[in-house]
Amino acid sequence: MSAAIAAEPVAAPLLEVRGLQKRYGAVVALRDVNFTVRRGEVTALLGDNGAGKSTTIKAIAGVAPIDEGDILLEGRPVSIRHPSEATALGIQTVYQDLALCDNLGICANLYLGRELVSSPTALGPHVLRDVDMELEARRVLKTLRINLPALDTPVASLSGGQRQAVAIARAVLWDSKLVIMDEPTAALGVAQTAEVLRLVRDLAEQGYGVILITHNMQNVFQVADNIAVLRLGATVMQARKSDVTPEQVVGAITGTLAIPGTGTAGAMA
Amino acid sequence: MSSVQHPEQKSEQKSPFRRWLTGVAQSTDLGMLPVIAALIVIWAVFETLNANFLTPRNLSNLAAQIVVTGTLALAEIYIILLGMIDLSIGWNSVLAASVFSLATVFFHLPVGVGIVLGIALATGIGFLQGMVVSRIGVPSFVVTLGGGMIAEGLTLAILTPHGGSVPLADDFTTAIGTLNLDPLWSWVLSLLLFGGYAAVTLGGIRKRAASGHEGGFAATMRLVGVAIMLFGAVFMLNAYRGVPFLLMLFLIALFASAFVTKSTRFGRHLYAVGGNAEAARRAGISVKGIQLAVFIIAGFLVGLAGYLDAARLGVASASVGNGDIMLNAVAAAVIGGTSLFGGRGSVYGALFGALVIASVSNGMNLLGAASSVRFIVEGLILLAAITIDTILRLRRMRSGRA
Repeated sequence: MSAAIAAEPVAAPLLEVRGLQKRYGAVVALRDVNFTVRRGEVTALLGDNGAGKSTTIKAIAGVAPIDEGDILLEGRPVSIRHPSEATALGIQTVYQDLALCDNLGICANLYLGRELVSSPTALGPHVLRDVDMELEARRVLKTLRINLPALDTPVASLSGGQRQAVAIARAVLWDSKLVIMDEPTAALGVAQTAEVLRLVRDLAEQGYGVILITHNMQNVFQVADNIAVLRLGATVMQARKSDVTPEQVVGAITGTLAIPGTGTAGAMA
Repeated sequence: MSSVQHPEQKSEQKSPFRRWLTGVAQSTDLGMLPVIAALIVIWAVFETLNANFLTPRNLSNLAAQIVVTGTLALAEIYIILLGMIDLSIGWNSVLAASVFSLATVFFHLPVGVGIVLGIALATGIGFLQGMVVSRIGVPSFVVTLGGGMIAEGLTLAILTPHGGSVPLADDFTTAIGTLNLDPLWSWVLSLLLFGGYAAVTLGGIRKRAASGHEGGFAATMRLVGVAIMLFGAVFMLNAYRGVPFLLMLFLIALFASAFVTKSTRFGRHLYAVGGNAEAARRAGISVKGIQLAVFIIAGFLVGLAGYLDAARLGVASASVGNGDIMLNAVAAAVIGGTSLFGGRGSVYGALFGALVIASVSNGMNLLGAASSVRFIVEGLILLAAITIDTILRLRRMRSGRA
């Protein structure tokens, strides 16, 4: 990764999604999802269970491609049909289960699947450059102000917050521009939640675009710049944090605010 | 300083030794330490009971006795690291040996061709079993149980018409099975080997230290431990007849495996698949490809073990497969600290696990103990090993890390 992607004043936002639609058989998961993510900003994606947050994330990450709609990355329309295409475009997702290998060390996890190797011949053996990986990993962890024990420590012996930090650092190491985080604080204690939120904020300050999925309204107002609320597969609110109150956001999530297009209010529990 | 940190990790002021000791006490992965400790205890007990145990002559016998179990255990460790099991290794190795004997004794093919045929057959069986396991997803337990039975049937079909065993008479195989490396050469080779290992280790420590990070106390200790074991072994073996060629071949397979599993991208991916296959898949690792490759490697080692066994005994015999070579290999792998849950362990467990198994049976023989006692002692050691593995796993789970 580059230490800090300069937040240059380009007109096009980092990511813009327009009119995303997705159906699973007869079930319409996404009807009309629109939102924008800017460089150097945290965009909180909110919504009740079943509102379409996960489907939206999977669409952008290439796990479950969309049926209709446009995804624009830096103003260019892109097609993301596979996770590797998302990775190639600089989009990384930190899933809730983190997908770490507990038996491997921190450094091995950070570089899993794209180890630095040197090959004496074209066919191999692909010899791991452990020391180089470790030094580079230390540098990245330092810029993110993540403090971890020795980098050969198995991930199994880390705390929940440290594991989350490893997963986030790993996303950043992949030369990414956009980091999607699914409920990063769901299973953490107070101090660890604060640390992870600090990390989320730091990522934005360093010029990454961040999409944060969470249920915790307090977290949202602590770190987000933008708020997008989904309800029943459609965007019902997109606002700057400063323009809305927590009550309004909750209203948008639960549907007690008037929602254009659905007609009903408070239908969902 | 950030708050994402364990309180007990603020141990900057402690001496490196204290920190290492604390690490071991809290560790959930003890590596080779328990098995080396067990080996020292076993050797001390047998030496006390019978002063002939730790003699150069008996240790040379021991060195030849670990070869087949060790090579099979090495194959098994590859499979267990994936979180799978291979029950076919015993009969597959005997099948490889019998194909070798058939080719050289009855078809009068050159020895080299016979070796290639035997090992190629075992590798091919590994490939087929790997295909069924990785592509179709049949549990390895069942696939290799069936594979082993087929191999048993084929072995009996080959050997029964010749009375169940075929004596081998070619000079090369006899040499491999009985001769030893010249003492001077064994010193030269072991010094070169250790020099290379030390250069790599020290290079890593220096590179870390140069960038302001702490060099490894543990790595230095390991270097000293390896030096003591390697040169001690060469010294003892040279005091009798030298390093057996059989042992050399096993050690070459062992060191090559150590390189592959610890220092290459393939090895890293192998551990990743064994630890968390889903995470490995999401990281872009071909889980099926790794599984297939591991079964092929294990098949190759099984074929090698079959040839080494035939060379040691001077005969390709079906009765070998009836013995406990497969269960001994699994026991050696587990005693050597390989976790049956996958992803944890080291190929060096094959060496130390086989040493424990062979030491117990060798020591019991010296004492003139009945094989009934031997089985009970081996069973107890195996139970102790699997208990340690399970306790370590429970420790990980209790802290929410498994």
